[in-house]
Amino acid sequence: MATAAVSLAPVQKTAHARFFEAWPPLTIAALAWIAGMVATALAADVLAPYPFTALDLKARLAPAVLLGGSWAHPFGTDELGRDVLSRLIMSIRMSLLIAFFGTMIAAVLGTTIGFVAAHFRRVVEAVVLMLIDFQASMPFLIIALSVLAFMGNSLSLFVVLMGFHSWERYARITRGLTISANEQGYASAVRQLGASSLRIYGLHVLPNIASTLIVSMTLTFPETILLESGLSFLGLGVQPPLTSLGNMVGYGREYLTRAPWIMLAPSAVIVLTTLSISIVGDWLRDRLDPTLR
Amino acid sequence: MMRYLAGRVLRGLFTILLVMTFAFVVLRLSGDPALLIMTVDAPPEAIAAFRTSWGLDRPLWDQYVTYVLRAAIGDLGNSMRDGRPAIELVLDRVPATLAITIPAFLLKIGIGVPAGIYAALHRNSLADRLTMLVSVAGFTVPSFVLALVLVLVFSVKLGWLPSSGSETLAHAILPIVTLGTAGAAVIARFTRSAMLEVLGQPYIRAASAKGLTWRRVVTDHALPNAAIPTTTIIGFMIGALIAGAVVVESVFAWPGVGRLLVVAVANRDLAVVQALLIIIAATMVAANILVDLVYGWIDPRMRTRHPAGAQ
Repeated sequence: MATAAVSLAPVQKTAHARFFEAWPPLTIAALAWIAGMVATALAADVLAPYPFTALDLKARLAPAVLLGGSWAHPFGTDELGRDVLSRLIMSIRMSLLIAFFGTMIAAVLGTTIGFVAAHFRRVVEAVVLMLIDFQASMPFLIIALSVLAFMGNSLSLFVVLMGFHSWERYARITRGLTISANEQGYASAVRQLGASSLRIYGLHVLPNIASTLIVSMTLTFPETILLESGLSFLGLGVQPPLTSLGNMVGYGREYLTRAPWIMLAPSAVIVLTTLSISIVGDWLRDRLDPTLR
Repeated sequence: MMRYLAGRVLRGLFTILLVMTFAFVVLRLSGDPALLIMTVDAPPEAIAAFRTSWGLDRPLWDQYVTYVLRAAIGDLGNSMRDGRPAIELVLDRVPATLAITIPAFLLKIGIGVPAGIYAALHRNSLADRLTMLVSVAGFTVPSFVLALVLVLVFSVKLGWLPSSGSETLAHAILPIVTLGTAGAAVIARFTRSAMLEVLGQPYIRAASAKGLTWRRVVTDHALPNAAIPTTTIIGFMIGALIAGAVVVESVFAWPGVGRLLVVAVANRDLAVVQALLIIIAATMVAANILVDLVYGWIDPRMRTRHPAGAQ
């Protein structure tokens, strides 16, 4: 193939070129954005210029600086005169926190269940497949809705709920790949050598399927952000006075024509954050998957 | 094969029963429907009469058995708001939803699959990078943001298209574009990923080594293998044809199933919510069975089922 021919050619590369080959500029930008968002989330209390619920009734619907506003409220204010930048910073903390824990719960839960199904097959696998079907046949928006209506809308419950959003995808992928891995040479070889199942799955199968799982995580992390913002957008997620990115967009929708900055700032953060995670995910995949080199 | 299919259908039916049970339990536990539907100052006799007419005064197991048996013959109760059969209310909305989700579905596949294959075959080319950047961008923009931006540009600024409603064909354009863009991005990404996975396999090298043209290698060896994961993701999208437009329908005030759902949940119209859940679950289950069948057809390895490790 063409790529193989290029890499085999004895071309002398500068250290500079080799650096950018390993770390593409776009990836560096994406990593920088993610680092910035994480830092913002961690230092939200210090960074926010105003308390995020503080009203400034004299400066209601003040436009952002770029749209002719003043530096007192660089991202403008909403119709109660609350500083959009401060609310944005608190929203970033909230949305990242929910998405992070949600993705972790889903990945750990789903991968474990997938291994269990692939290991035991038969009844256990049938039960897992049934649960996967159950999850896949229910629109998650509605599961979330019923549960939130029933149990009340607490933040910890909402986070756990986000964790149940995509477990079935990890379980499905892990199960399928583990079954075919079990039938491949390396897994049987290690098994013949007397390794325990836990060792085979943890040290041999998991590294081999990790790239696919990581690609899934780079898809589900943004999806969890999007789900959280979607639910909050519909008014069913994070509840006022707390604020999240989706919450802000849903609120800003009412002022789409008069004050688009309310909706544009959190939208841009959602898009740039999910975009950055996906770019880093692609880059990670290329680095982690030895079969593609 | 028939035995496999029968088992699959049985499991599907059981899944639907699970969904029904879930709906029954959660919606019953979420509050007293009589108090939710009636006003606070309704006379106690009226509330009692409501409970009797809905069977809410009977024991839970009795309610459950009646509910399942009636559902089996297609009776999912009447709307607690306007008294019409719930299933009728739902089915009334299905055409409107399909009118935007089917064109969006075709848009997704028509753009996503070729873009993904092309990007994988020209890996690291400018075209690959551009395709993936656009695809990633399309995928990371939430549907409600995309919808609002489209409204801002095409309705508010340019005034070309209506921002909400469903009176004319023009009303459907923005919802379809919103739904199609995100889906195409997901499909393109998955197709590319699957193709790259396959192109790195030894049998591709073997096929090239035995002198097949690159075109033959791609069409006979790479594409059929890459079709497997792609089929899965497309299968999920078939299942979502009915329920996949909740947010978009809400933004554009499109009178489909999704909007009915949001309104029914807000009104606590339990019968309609249940009917929606069951119909949506049935659609998804049917789609999953379809995917499994197609899976067995395109991947002969899945037809043999033997326990792990046994050779």
